[in-house]
Amino acid sequence: MKRSILLGSILTLLLTGCGGPATVRIGFIGPLTGDAATMGKDTLKGVQMAVDEMNAAGGIGGKQVELIAEDGRCNGGDAASAAQKLVNVDKVQSIIGGTCSSETLAAAPIAGAAKIIAISPVSSSPKLTGFSPYQFRNYPSDAYRTKAFGTFFQKNGLKKIAIITENTDFCQGIRSGIKENLPAGAIIAFDEVVDPGTKDYRTLMTRLKATDFDAFVLNGQSDATNGEMAKQLRALGMTQTIIGPDSVDSDSFPVIAGSASEGVLAISAPTVDETNPKGAAFAKTYNDRFGKPTWSLYFAALAYDAATVALQTLKEAGPGDAQRAALLAIKDFQGVAGTFHFDQNGDVVGMPYGLKEFKNGKSVLREVIPVN
Amino acid sequence: MQLLLNALIAGSFAALLASGLALVYGVMGVFNLALGQMALIGGYVCWWCVAVAGLPLPVAIVCSLVVSLILAWISFDLFVQPFQRRHRFLPIVTTIALSMLLDGLILIVFHEEPRSILASGQRLLHIGDAILSVEQLVLICVTILFLSVLVWVLTSTPFGRKVRATVQHPEAATSLGMNGPLLRRSLFILSALCAACGGIYVGIDQNLSPTLGMHLTVKAYAAVIAGGRGSLKGAILFAFIIALLEQLAIGLPWFGVYIPAGYQGTVALLVIVILLLWKPEGVFGSRLRSS
Repeated sequence: MKRSILLGSILTLLLTGCGGPATVRIGFIGPLTGDAATMGKDTLKGVQMAVDEMNAAGGIGGKQVELIAEDGRCNGGDAASAAQKLVNVDKVQSIIGGTCSSETLAAAPIAGAAKIIAISPVSSSPKLTGFSPYQFRNYPSDAYRTKAFGTFFQKNGLKKIAIITENTDFCQGIRSGIKENLPAGAIIAFDEVVDPGTKDYRTLMTRLKATDFDAFVLNGQSDATNGEMAKQLRALGMTQTIIGPDSVDSDSFPVIAGSASEGVLAISAPTVDETNPKGAAFAKTYNDRFGKPTWSLYFAALAYDAATVALQTLKEAGPGDAQRAALLAIKDFQGVAGTFHFDQNGDVVGMPYGLKEFKNGKSVLREVIPVN
Repeated sequence: MQLLLNALIAGSFAALLASGLALVYGVMGVFNLALGQMALIGGYVCWWCVAVAGLPLPVAIVCSLVVSLILAWISFDLFVQPFQRRHRFLPIVTTIALSMLLDGLILIVFHEEPRSILASGQRLLHIGDAILSVEQLVLICVTILFLSVLVWVLTSTPFGRKVRATVQHPEAATSLGMNGPLLRRSLFILSALCAACGGIYVGIDQNLSPTLGMHLTVKAYAAVIAGGRGSLKGAILFAFIIALLEQLAIGLPWFGVYIPAGYQGTVALLVIVILLLWKPEGVFGSRLRSS
C-alpha cells in the first residue's frame, strides 16, 4: 500500500517535471476599460480569433495556445505592470500589444529585456521607430500620416489650417507632425489645445468663425470629443473642409456628430477589403461571433494580422531571437488588413493609408494613399 | 451675445448637478461623491429608452427618473444611511466605492461607446448674430423652470420648512413629530433626480461617455462651495457664473492675447479660489454652522 503511494507520487513528479506548462501562452495588452476601451475590445477580439484558429489547426508543437489579456488602460503605468505580469508571472512567449502608443512605449522595454517579441497592431507614435529591437508593429508610423496631411493640403489648395487638439500623446504627435509637414505657403491660422474629454467647444467655435481658414483638422482622441467638435462647428454655419486622423474614422462618429459627419474626411488605415475572399471571410466570422465592432473592423483586422504573424513565427521558429529573425525574414505576408513585411526597425512596410469620407453616416474609402 | 448663450447652455447643465449636490451636501451635509455617476446613469437610461426601446422622449425621461429614484433609494440605504449615523465623513469613502461600482455597471450595461440621445440634426435659430438650436432653447427654459420650482419648494412650502428644520436640528425636529428619516431620504432622492436631469441634459445636448462621472462631481462641488454651503440659490447662481467665466476666459482676448483653451477650467476655478479667500464661507453662505 505504502509503496504504491510512493510510486504514484514519483510518477506524478516525473510527469509534471517533464511536461512543463501544458499550453503556449500569448499575452495581450490594450485598453479594456476607460474611454479608449472601444478600441481595445475590438483588437482583443481580433487576437482571440487568430488564437482560436491556431488552436483549431492543432496549436503550436501539439500544445494549445492560451491567450492572457491585460488591461493597459491606454496609459504607460498600467501597461508597464501588465507587461511585468505577462513576462514574469505568466511567462508568455510573445505579446500582442500595446494598443495605444503610450502603452507600447512603456511595455516595449520590459518585454525587450526578457527578449520577448511584442507586436503592436495599432500604435502609430513616431517615437516607436527603432525603440526596441523586440518591438514590431503592423501599423505605419504617424510620421507618414502627417506627411499625407501635408500632401492633402497642397493638392487641394488649402492654405490656412485651423486645428483643435485634445491634449493626449497621440493627438499632440499629430499636431506637431502637421506643423512640420505644412506645404510651402500654408499657415496655421488657429491652434488650440483642450483638456482630454472636453465636450463644450462652442466658445472656441465662435472664435473660429471669426477666423479666416480653409480647412479644419479634427484632432481629438475619441468620438466623444470629435463628434462634438464637428457638430458644434457645423452648427455655427461653417462649411470648410474638415479632416482628421484615424481617431475620427470610427463607426460611432456619425452617430454622435449626426448630419455634421457628412463629408468629414479622415486619413486613416485602409478598410478591410470585403471584395477579397479573405477579408470577406474575416468580416463574416467577426460579425457572427461578436456582433458589430465597437470602434471599427479594421482595428480588429490589424490585431488579427498581428496575432497571426506572431503565432506563425512562434510555431516555425520558437520564441525570442529566433522569432525576431523569422519576423524579419517575412516577405509579403498576406493579411486581412493588407499585404506587408517588416523593416529592420520593426516598422511595417507596405500598409497604405486610406483617405476616407463619411457619406450617409458611413465611412467610405475615397482613395488609397501609399506609404514609403 | 453668442458667448452669453454658450454660458447659458453650459451653465444650465452645471446648475442641475450643482443643485443636486447643494441639496445633499449643502443642505443635508452628506457627502455624495457618486453624484456624477448617478447623473450618467440617468442619461444612459434615457438614451436606452429612446435608442434601443424606441420610446418617445418624454416617456423615456420619466422612465429614466423612475430608475434614478430606485437607484437613489437603494444607494441611500446601502451606502449612506448606515454610515452617516456613525460619522459624517464615512460616506466619502462609501460613495467613492459606489461611484466605482456604478462606473463598472455603466461599462457593463451601456458599453464604452459615447451615446447621444437625439441623433437627428439640430434645428437652428438665429438670434441677432448668435445661433442657438431649438433643443438647446427648450433645455435651457425647462431647466430654469425646474430649478425655480425647486427653490420655491424648499423656501416657501411646508415641505421645505420641514426639511430645513430636520437638517438644522434632527432630534428637535423628530421630537416635534416630523419624520426625519423619511425627509432625509426624500432629500437624497430629490438630489439624485436633479443629477439625473443633468445627465439627460448632457445626453441630449452633447453625448454621454463612461468616464464623465467624476468630472461632473468635481464641477458641482466647485459651484456649491463658491455659492455657500447650505444655499441652493447660491449653488445654482454659481454654476452659471463658473460657466460664464469659462466662456469669457477663452472667448475674449485678454490684454491682446487669448488664454489657451486648456486653461479654461483652471481660470474659472482660480477666480473661485480668490473669491473664497475673500469670503471663506461662500458668497451666499451663512456664518452659522449647520448640522
